[in-house]
Amino acid sequence: MADINAAFKAKMVQRKWAAMGVLFLAAVIFPMAPGVESWMASEATLIIMYIMAAQGVSILTGYTGLVTVGHGGFLAVGAYASALSTKYLGTDLITGMFVGAAMSAFVGWALGLVFLRLSGAFMAIGTLGFAFFVGTVVNNVPIFEGREGISLPKNHVIGFEIGDIGFYYTALAALGVTTLFVSLLVRSGVGRAFMALRDSEKAAEASGVNRVFYRTLAFSLSAAVTGVAGVLFAHYVNYVSSEVFADIWYSVDFLVATVVGGSAVLLGPFVGGLFVAFLPTFIELFVDQPGDLAFIIKGGALIFVLIVAPAGVVVGLVQLFRWLRGKLGGDTQ
Amino acid sequence: MTSHLRCDEVTVRFGGVVACNKISLDVEEGKIIGLIGPNGAGKTTLFNVLSRFQDCDDGHVYYRDQQIDAKNTHDMINLGMARTFQNINLFGEQTTLENILIGAHHLIGNPYSNMLWLPSARRNERELTDRAVEIAEMLNLGDELDNPVKNLPYGHQKRVEMARALAAKPEMILLDEPVAGCNDEETAELKEIVKRINSELGITIFLVEHDMAMVMTVCDYICVINFGANLAQGTPSEIQSNRDVIKAYLGEDDE
Amino acid sequence: MFGQLFISGLATGSLYALTAVAVVVVFRNTRTINLAQGDFSMIGAFVALVLIKSFAFNYYFALAGSVVFCIGLGILAERVVMRQIADSDWLTLFTATLGMYYILHGVAGHFWGRDTKAFPLTFDPTPINVFGGIISQGHVVNMAWAAAIGLVLFIFFKYTKQGIAMRAVTDDPETAALMGIPVRFIVLLTWGMAGFLAAFAGVLIAPIIYVSPEMMDEVLIKGYVAAVFGGLYSIPGAIIGALLIGICENLAGGYLGSHFKTVTAFAMIVLLLAFRPHGLFGIQKRREV
Repeated sequence: MADINAAFKAKMVQRKWAAMGVLFLAAVIFPMAPGVESWMASEATLIIMYIMAAQGVSILTGYTGLVTVGHGGFLAVGAYASALSTKYLGTDLITGMFVGAAMSAFVGWALGLVFLRLSGAFMAIGTLGFAFFVGTVVNNVPIFEGREGISLPKNHVIGFEIGDIGFYYTALAALGVTTLFVSLLVRSGVGRAFMALRDSEKAAEASGVNRVFYRTLAFSLSAAVTGVAGVLFAHYVNYVSSEVFADIWYSVDFLVATVVGGSAVLLGPFVGGLFVAFLPTFIELFVDQPGDLAFIIKGGALIFVLIVAPAGVVVGLVQLFRWLRGKLGGDTQ
Repeated sequence: MTSHLRCDEVTVRFGGVVACNKISLDVEEGKIIGLIGPNGAGKTTLFNVLSRFQDCDDGHVYYRDQQIDAKNTHDMINLGMARTFQNINLFGEQTTLENILIGAHHLIGNPYSNMLWLPSARRNERELTDRAVEIAEMLNLGDELDNPVKNLPYGHQKRVEMARALAAKPEMILLDEPVAGCNDEETAELKEIVKRINSELGITIFLVEHDMAMVMTVCDYICVINFGANLAQGTPSEIQSNRDVIKAYLGEDDE
Repeated sequence: MFGQLFISGLATGSLYALTAVAVVVVFRNTRTINLAQGDFSMIGAFVALVLIKSFAFNYYFALAGSVVFCIGLGILAERVVMRQIADSDWLTLFTATLGMYYILHGVAGHFWGRDTKAFPLTFDPTPINVFGGIISQGHVVNMAWAAAIGLVLFIFFKYTKQGIAMRAVTDDPETAALMGIPVRFIVLLTWGMAGFLAAFAGVLIAPIIYVSPEMMDEVLIKGYVAAVFGGLYSIPGAIIGALLIGICENLAGGYLGSHFKTVTAFAMIVLLLAFRPHGLFGIQKRREV
């Protein structure tokens, strides 16, 4: 029984990496494929940013069990950190990513300390408050230039100017790095500590998990990953303004993306990010000017997913696959 | 006799209720010590004081003569003390192996190199996993390593808790009602395991338990508390013939 | 100026309280933070508006129609959506209500359009003088309504069989079920009550903030914040929280500028959560091992 299970698990792990490999390969080839127009690459870049932001959320919400409705705030922190460093120090995109990640990690660490004792619905409203707070700051503190915004120069990577396609590949490479990082993290002893805190704080502490350290660590790593997505976002449109980054809906969308895909699954943010970022475009393919219909479809799809696969699409598909395998009698369970 | 864990006139109050009133006891190194008492005697509170899940209002707790009343809960394991929980407190979705590995958390080394799987961390993880498998086999859990613990029978889950405590390489384990809710067969098995942990690994055991037969046969020394205060201490045979203890337990039956 | 800001803040706060109480009631009986609570109200306001405009109902009949409709909406939400996932974890329930939010938003926008519509004023707009402050009659009437609903809830929870059963479910659902309380029915009743409160919240606030699909977004957030003041458990705590938010944001708006209004609520909640994680009146659960 256990052996079969172990073998099955190993197979699933292999499949997961195979799926991931295929996904990335497809993403690499995609802009070169015939019939692909440049707006599609731009759309794909947007999806990459959503996936990355959702990866950040999944570290905190999925693996550590702290629901955040405030990661739009970290998106903004990353975006503004990089924008300011580009404007005043002339840094390139890659340096910008490090600056954004570092700044986000620091703010995340601080927020983790402030909300040390919160969980559940209290954490949700607290983090939402953080997103509002960030919005207010960028609106009112002069250096962020409020609604006027900061315009950024053309993007550079190690001295070379990059266009839409170049930007797409940069974003894809960054996504590769964050994916690798998250996958290493969650299988490590640190990831185990996060999950232990999620499942039982008491037992975690009895096992020597330092609650304060690991909670704040989860906050800062999670913020850093979403912060990199923010950097990409800022440079994608070459512009940051409070109009965009004070919008609370990013926070909500990232959470939805995490939940829809499966919050503690590596592939979850990919499916969820696609769901959130691509659904509007997808609907437009079929309905002209969907407007409010898009809202209804989005809500309906969300509820449908939650009812059919409460643990997310990826987990639901794995279960469906197992069930089918049992039904078809491929091999005995 | 070397003292491994000692508490000195420990007092805990919850509002107006005094849960522990100047309780003193001494756990001798390498022995199995039992703590018993009628319901509401303050056993769980005292247990939590000793494992640093509860602050005491008065008195002190010493681990190998080092005062620990202000230690963090998560630091206890670095001193060498692990504990289990009365109502099983496992990470249900995770496998037996992952649950045991969490017990070894304080051995993961530098968390930053651990999370990036740097070479030193990789070696360390392999060692920890090997040890976790060994422990699982010692506790007859070898077949369940990849099963999520929520699917395991009750007795198995109790053993996973013990395995998790053992994974920390402790010098002492506090067991909170290790056989509560178990059937006779499971109880016998757990009893055997407790004895083996003590004799083969030389780990000091301190346990709270309701099952008198278990306590009397396993423990070297027993402390009895009643109404939050010391009642009697001694070997199992001394306790069995102690008038105060009999009265405390019979008195409870009268109610 | 202070007295006036204070009293009109109190009036707005008493409307927030309706949402806050609904958030608390639903949360403590079903573990669900209902993000669609505001949109129940929004739909209620639209229904009342349609009844007045197209069917020439008078105000009170429109209000009654809206109440009936919203109770139905609450029950529908429970039967169709929430019951299917009642055993899921907190986050799933939370996200499902977000799905309902999207749907209700889309429905309202689809049928009634995105633009803002005025809601007929039902009372003489000439302000009256109360304890030295100038206050519009609408505010006085709203406060009276909110107080009346508060009284009804108080009587319901204190004296009726269903109300007592509901509290029993709040305290301990398993024991309540063992004692023969029909927990499923109580949950349904809870959502019905959420609809009932939503209708009043929507229709009463409509003349002030006008009617549009987005009308209740901010009110919902403030209601949620106010509910946290009561630890998401205490109804009086939520009411006091709502009144505090109404007053503070009005004062901040009056003295600092109107764009500080929403931030005030959040500044309050962040401070509160940092220092009292379970709300101002929340019960600090003793650490049980």
